[in-house]
Amino acid sequence: MWPFIARCLETMTIFLFAALGELWNQRSGVLNVGIEGVMLLGAASGFVTAIHSGSLALGFIAGIIVGGILGLLHGLLSITLKVDQVISGMGIWIFAMGFATWWADKYSGPLPASLSSPKIGGMLSPLFFLALTLVFIVWFILYRTSLGLKIRSVGEDPSVAEATGINVTRIRYLSVIVGGLLGGLSGAFLILSYLRVWSHIPTSGMGWIALALVFFSMWKPFILLGGALLFGTIWQFGVSPEVIFPGGLGIPLGVYRMLPFIATIIVLMIILSPKFRRKWGLAKPAALGLPYVKE
Amino acid sequence: MRLPRLKLERVLVLTGRDAVKISAASIIVAFVIFSIFLLLEGADAIEAYRNIFSFAFNPRLGLVTTIHRSMFLLLVTLAFILPLKTGFWNVGVQGQFYLGTVGAFAVAYALGNLPAGVLIPLMMVAASLFGAGYGAIAGFLKEKWGVNEVVLTIMLNNIAFWLIYCLVIGGPWMGISESESRSLPASAMAPTIGKIPFTVPLAIALSVIFYFLLTKSSIGYQIRCYGSNPSAAKYAGMNPLKLLIFVTAIGGAIAGLSAYHMWAGDPSFGRIPRPEGYMGIGDFTFWGIIVGLVCLLNPIAAIPASIFIGSLREGGAILVRRLGLTFGLDNVFVGILFLTFVAFQFFHRYKIIRVKKRR
Repeated sequence: MWPFIARCLETMTIFLFAALGELWNQRSGVLNVGIEGVMLLGAASGFVTAIHSGSLALGFIAGIIVGGILGLLHGLLSITLKVDQVISGMGIWIFAMGFATWWADKYSGPLPASLSSPKIGGMLSPLFFLALTLVFIVWFILYRTSLGLKIRSVGEDPSVAEATGINVTRIRYLSVIVGGLLGGLSGAFLILSYLRVWSHIPTSGMGWIALALVFFSMWKPFILLGGALLFGTIWQFGVSPEVIFPGGLGIPLGVYRMLPFIATIIVLMIILSPKFRRKWGLAKPAALGLPYVKE
Repeated sequence: MRLPRLKLERVLVLTGRDAVKISAASIIVAFVIFSIFLLLEGADAIEAYRNIFSFAFNPRLGLVTTIHRSMFLLLVTLAFILPLKTGFWNVGVQGQFYLGTVGAFAVAYALGNLPAGVLIPLMMVAASLFGAGYGAIAGFLKEKWGVNEVVLTIMLNNIAFWLIYCLVIGGPWMGISESESRSLPASAMAPTIGKIPFTVPLAIALSVIFYFLLTKSSIGYQIRCYGSNPSAAKYAGMNPLKLLIFVTAIGGAIAGLSAYHMWAGDPSFGRIPRPEGYMGIGDFTFWGIIVGLVCLLNPIAAIPASIFIGSLREGGAILVRRLGLTFGLDNVFVGILFLTFVAFQFFHRYKIIRVKKRR
């Protein structure tokens, strides 16, 4: 059972890194639907760097930096050029798919065995605890610091925030870059610790689930933690159902792989059902998705 | 020397002519940036472009495949355009294409003995219905529940991917090679007019019909109204739920139909290929997003644009063979085109003007 639990916790870590970054930048009012693309390029650069340099640490650093650059790009497009945030995010995603296919698919295959990191109980990466700590840190920054107050007010009403002397552009840039850095870390972690094998589009929809997780966390880090645990478990169960049901009960493997996606739709529907809808609408950053145009 | 002083000015009304210019400029810039990638690969950019297009449009080499892929691209572009006219981001074309695949193959395997004249229309109807149903689910959930349609349709795409996986890999449709499906019966393949499948003129006819539907019909008027101002449309008595389900179902039907065109219109397919293979075609549907946006959602403009972009995909393959470049450069081009197009959206809102020196 321990290997399965460790794998669940690693999947949870992947979701947590990406979703925490996305939560942060959504709190400042910037929606980045390209998070799957950020993860994908983070994973690609992490993987290629690790193979060439022979160092996992450098791989992680490369993934994080590339993620940050993509966050910056999203900021450039959606904050400075004031392009629709959905179009910009889509652009980053489609670009990442094309670029990663061309650049990293030729490295398809496993990481060399020499590139291994210490794991707790032989299975769980210590970065899991970093992710847990980050939940607390993000919560602390958002709710207990003046920076967090600025971020949240920029996400609610940028023109009022500007009037009180907050530099909206700077706060939003900071937020999208943090979102990108964490998205890149998530991708690097996915490929360097969890999968350890490159195959075509290894993220396989995880970034989109991370995005959905932010929506139904009601933009609160601790709810996000629970959501990531739930979906980490569902995802891992989808990958290896035989741990719980020996032989998979004769149901084809593909059916299990659908589960996280079906679960996402169901949870999105629950959160938007009449019972929760009002609460959800109130929690949503009011300026989310709107470019800020100074008049 | 002194630099000219520049200033930003808000664009209040964007004329159609300016929008076309901006789209064209973004394509040119994409080509320039892509040339840098070609240089990085050690290829002469001009030589590479000449190879791409001469291969893609050579009747003895790539032309037939170019037309086939371009028309597939046209169909998926139409499937994307119509829902976006109401503001619905149909990123689920991929899933609707997968469902169309399931519909078409289910009919072909179950009723393979029927004559071609009956079997083919049945396959096309089934493909359209499956795609339409899948699209309508997304439209319904978006309008009734307010679920974010981008996340929703991506989830549906992934579900549909694994559905085909279940049917083919170790499932009822498994062929001799375990990772591919059984071949379609010969009567299911699309009849051709000199090597060109009949679905090609059909795709062009559909885009003309779409054009008139959007500009000249009452439902098209409603769609445009709702897209530009949903609350005003509601006050005017339009039913958003019906409208959303209509556009997503029609979009899904076209996406489903594209599945018949893809698998039965090219003799080298005739079956569902390995998962990476059908996923590759599924990812190709995302190119429809960029074609649709660059064409400013105009179904007629989508015809030349999809031929142009489609020829890049087919011709891009020659870069691998003839110039020894890395596989997948065509995907990079589309990614770059999308990003430059996104950046050029800036000019939909602002223009840069030169400030004249006052004396």
